[in-house]
Amino acid sequence: MTSKLEKELYRAAVLTFEELGLMLPTPDVNEEQQKAATEATVTIPFDGPFSGRLVVTICGDVLGGLAANMLGEDEASAHEHRDDALGEIGNVICGNILPRIAGARDVFDLRPPYITEHKEPRSEGEIHPPAATAHVGFDSGRADLALYVDSGAVTISVECNR
Amino acid sequence: MALNVLVVDDSAVMRKMIVRTLRLSGLPLGEVYEAGNGKEGLDALREHWVDLALIDINMPVMTGEEMIDRVRQNPETADLSVIVVSTDCSETRIEMLQKKGAGFVHKPFTPEGLRETISHLTGVAHDEQTGEGTLQGSGPDF
Repeated sequence: MTSKLEKELYRAAVLTFEELGLMLPTPDVNEEQQKAATEATVTIPFDGPFSGRLVVTICGDVLGGLAANMLGEDEASAHEHRDDALGEIGNVICGNILPRIAGARDVFDLRPPYITEHKEPRSEGEIHPPAATAHVGFDSGRADLALYVDSGAVTISVECNR
Repeated sequence: MALNVLVVDDSAVMRKMIVRTLRLSGLPLGEVYEAGNGKEGLDALREHWVDLALIDINMPVMTGEEMIDRVRQNPETADLSVIVVSTDCSETRIEMLQKKGAGFVHKPFTPEGLRETISHLTGVAHDEQTGEGTLQGSGPDF
């Protein structure tokens, strides 16, 4: 059963990909999309009432089109900005999801995003599962999202109707 | 009357998107300058005449908040029109920024939303008939 938090994470991701990346998600993630290879992963660490990180992994052949859409250029011209584009997508998703789960008045500081070419290795510090995951399908691949919250953090509850 | 604009964001992609959105907004644009952090933004303000600064919050070297504080402390830039463009929509932060005299636009943004905030803050509007910028009555004196 999908939790409220996961629904909010999915909603924040879809909003960002649609409005910033001009990419429309597919209704679900099909088998072909599930098999797509990882293109790149961005991690956005954050601090505030609780700390953690959002990890966004892009799979398939999505990144080139995403950067091109954001810049209003063709894929070749936008190629050098692919990592930056992904970082900004991650920033906006993170910035939009945190108030939804913490509260409208809480202040978070997002640290600079960093890009890796593989899924984040689970070897840093305490290994714990993500608080929420979401998956967004696109014609040419998918995006996997995972929200990690540091251990000992306050209980997270999702605010509604913000 | 064209606006000289400074865009301050550590993401080159976001700076390009903001500039593109500004051009799509229909507002009269003069020179557009870019900076990658608050310190570079202050350097740009020393070198160029700027009517409006669009500033991100979370940046390395110098954050947007610190840049705005320095801008307000300097008599030459104290009255600069400032709009924060950020993913951060914390009410606490927005209130704090408004106390510093800054407008706020939340990412992701639309040309219409950006235009409305700029027009409200600067008093400059797009004249749909002539395509020229006009100064609204509630705007600052020039």
